[in-house]
Amino acid sequence: MGMAMHRRNVANCGPDSLFTGFMSKRIAIIEDEQAIRENYAAAFRREGYSVELYDARKPAMDAFEARLPNLVVIDINLKDEVEGGFELCRELRSRSSDLPIIFLTARDSEFDAVSGLRLGADDYLTKDISLPHLMARVAALFRRLDAMQKPKGEQNRLNRGDLELDIDRMTVRWKNQPVGLTLTEFWMVHALARYPGHVKNRQQLMDAAQAVLDDNTITSHIKRIRRKFVAIDAGFSNVETVYGMGYRWLSD
Amino acid sequence: MNLRRQILLVSLLTLILPWAGCQFIRETESALREGQQQMLGGTAKAIADSLSQFPYEMLPNDGVDTHAYAHPLITAPLIDGYSDDWTIPEGAINTMRGTDGPIRYVLGQHRQNWYVYVEVRDSAVVYTDATTVGNRGVNADAVTLISVDSTDNQTSFRFAAEAPGKITATRRTGNLSLDEPRIDAHWQDMADGYRLEARIPRNLTGSRIGVSVFNTADAMRAGVTSTSFSGQAPGSVATVSPVLQSVTAGYVQPGLRLIITDKDGWRLAQAGSISTSGAGETAQDPPSGWLRLIYNLLLEPGAETAFADPAPGGRELQSYVSEALDGRMATRWFRSTETGRAIVSVAQPVWSGNVQTGVVILQQGTDAILSLTNQALTRLIILTLIATVVVAVVLLGYASWLSVRIRHLSEAAEHALDDKRLRSALPSALAGDEVGDLSRSFSNVLRQLGIYNDYLQSLAGKLSHELRTPLTIVRSSLENLEHEALTDEALEYTARAKEGTDRLRRILNAMSEANRTEAMIESAEPEDFDPGPALSSTVNAYAGAWPDRQFKFRNDTKAVSVHGSPELIIQMLDKLVDNAVDFTAPGDEITVSLTEEPGGVAIAVNNPGPPLPDEMRTELFHSLVSVRKGDDGKHLGFGLFVARLIAEGHSGTIEADNTTEGVQFTVHLPTTGKASG
Repeated sequence: MGMAMHRRNVANCGPDSLFTGFMSKRIAIIEDEQAIRENYAAAFRREGYSVELYDARKPAMDAFEARLPNLVVIDINLKDEVEGGFELCRELRSRSSDLPIIFLTARDSEFDAVSGLRLGADDYLTKDISLPHLMARVAALFRRLDAMQKPKGEQNRLNRGDLELDIDRMTVRWKNQPVGLTLTEFWMVHALARYPGHVKNRQQLMDAAQAVLDDNTITSHIKRIRRKFVAIDAGFSNVETVYGMGYRWLSD
Repeated sequence: MNLRRQILLVSLLTLILPWAGCQFIRETESALREGQQQMLGGTAKAIADSLSQFPYEMLPNDGVDTHAYAHPLITAPLIDGYSDDWTIPEGAINTMRGTDGPIRYVLGQHRQNWYVYVEVRDSAVVYTDATTVGNRGVNADAVTLISVDSTDNQTSFRFAAEAPGKITATRRTGNLSLDEPRIDAHWQDMADGYRLEARIPRNLTGSRIGVSVFNTADAMRAGVTSTSFSGQAPGSVATVSPVLQSVTAGYVQPGLRLIITDKDGWRLAQAGSISTSGAGETAQDPPSGWLRLIYNLLLEPGAETAFADPAPGGRELQSYVSEALDGRMATRWFRSTETGRAIVSVAQPVWSGNVQTGVVILQQGTDAILSLTNQALTRLIILTLIATVVVAVVLLGYASWLSVRIRHLSEAAEHALDDKRLRSALPSALAGDEVGDLSRSFSNVLRQLGIYNDYLQSLAGKLSHELRTPLTIVRSSLENLEHEALTDEALEYTARAKEGTDRLRRILNAMSEANRTEAMIESAEPEDFDPGPALSSTVNAYAGAWPDRQFKFRNDTKAVSVHGSPELIIQMLDKLVDNAVDFTAPGDEITVSLTEEPGGVAIAVNNPGPPLPDEMRTELFHSLVSVRKGDDGKHLGFGLFVARLIAEGHSGTIEADNTTEGVQFTVHLPTTGKASG
């Protein structure tokens, strides 16, 4: 159901975009496994995106010299470079601060995820993710990008005490300071904060984040969310673990 | 038998040292004895040769058998009717048959006097009466000394008392009876008879002397005469020869006893003593107690215990003397009854011309040898004992050291084997001996095992990683396929294929969970927390997750504090409960309990499921191990492995036990000691 909504959004926002004009948004996929690459490409094309495919860092960077795509999907492990994806992310981020970058990789370790996000990626997804989920995320990222261009609207906001969620831009502010959450994290916070005090179990959080995540990954996400809030406010303790059940947002 | 006992047993072999030493000493001793015997034989021969010039001293009464022996008395006894001042050996007193019991008598010789002592059992002592003496038909008890001289003239000396006390003897030669004032005699009454002691100058008698006792019950009745000899006249009396005595005195050395007998074995001279006390150089206290027992056991073997002292009766009749009396030299070894030491005796015949005149007996103690061997033996025993003890102690120590090393090695190896990982070098790894070799090869094996084990553990992670890419291909292809125009049938197939990939994905996730958990443990930010409330809340939640099982939580602790990550502890509990649910039937009760124990807490999960096979109880917690048989492939044996990783990540241990009700998994976690808020 949520998916349909996003898809509609993508369709709607396309012509309005100042950046792309009437042209479809261009997504670059850097993935050394041809079958996966082609499958992703097919899915993106079906959604109306135009897709550029690269199997290694070098040809991708060469092409990006001329023109940056609107969104980049990178695999970490590239043909001849084990961590070529990280390198590519670093180079792209140095060229553009607002280019959405998604890591899509088979590497599911916490360490890799943290490394990737630290390099400025907008999201870190494992290849477990289903194509519809991936599409939803891409659409959401574009939507956020679009929302950033528009003047701040008041309609789509959620305020919970010191917490302020801008649902269009998918940004979070705590005590008037921005909290840099990834898309997954934002959706989790959103799911928790919408009904303060209600326990959200892992499945619910997973659904909200549009991902299939195992327990460990959810725990890491929650940890990362807390850490990000605590970085701003050392006294933050609004995300509570209800052992065996899940998590809930505590109102002040 | 352990190594220590084995080596101790081997060390007993050192007891062969004292044995060999004893053999050596024994041989030495027998050689010394042989030498002593030879020497003594030579001396005896020389003495015998020198005695050949005294044929008349040796054969004083040639032609007449000797029947009695006059013991040489060292001091002159007092003539008082008592024999206690007679210096004669025990057993020297002879007996003859009397009417009222045995008559005891003994002859002695001191200087130029004979001494006679007679003890008569007499139920009624009849004294002589001076008024009737000599009257026919009137009798009295009397002792008579009968003497026969070389011309066969018989003289008798009659001792009869008118009353106890000093009496006068009557000398009778032929029909002539006279009082003999040169004879001193004393009559003494006893409870059951009387005794008589007398001194007779030797020149009054011949060389043949006998004692006769006349006993009558009544003065008016006839009496009975007992004699010390058989036949009409007594035999001759043997006694020491002053000439021979003085000759022998010249031969005597300390520790040497010399006895000269006539051709019948009657002792003619005796000198010296085999007791060497006071002999200076060889003097040594006889060893006492167990030491002497050892000496006696080890040395002087075969020594006869026969009596080596001169015969108290005055006649040497021992077998070796008899041999010498038959003309052959003989040697015997004795053991002294006093000291228990060996005595060598040599009997050597004495010849005058071709007539054997007597025998020389030489006896010598082996004190010199004994003292030598004793000293050697004492030293040997002490030295070998010390050596044995030292060797035993050293070997024992060595064996202990060796067995401790081997035990440590074996314990360490076992420990490492349990861990399936070699964390540090095994003991004795640097030693250059075989234990070191063993340790190194153990290390090698364990290292290989560890590498293999690590490989096995990482295999799942690697495999899941490698499989993920093809899985993604299949999945994304299927998802793309859904957007194509498919028949309903084809859609059904793609749906099934997707289901399959989902399952595959779950399996891959489970496979990599161990790796991710390890990473989580490493990156976890541990805190001090009370596991009680967290566990309680979790167990409550299980009721929702598995509505067909009953869950119970029991908390026996009060404000304990565990250092760690509550999420990980809960994850561990999830695994244990998940496992418990799998092994129980709907409606079963699963109990989670938290109890305090020394130094920590125990989290136990009990379920009434089937018991675990014994050999699997530790294996269970290893990667890729599952006790389930023929299951649906959902369980690859990672759950309990993950639980173990978490428990060990919290410095705890995990174990599985069969209980009377079912199975219990227990996690022991250390507490921080301070209570949490």
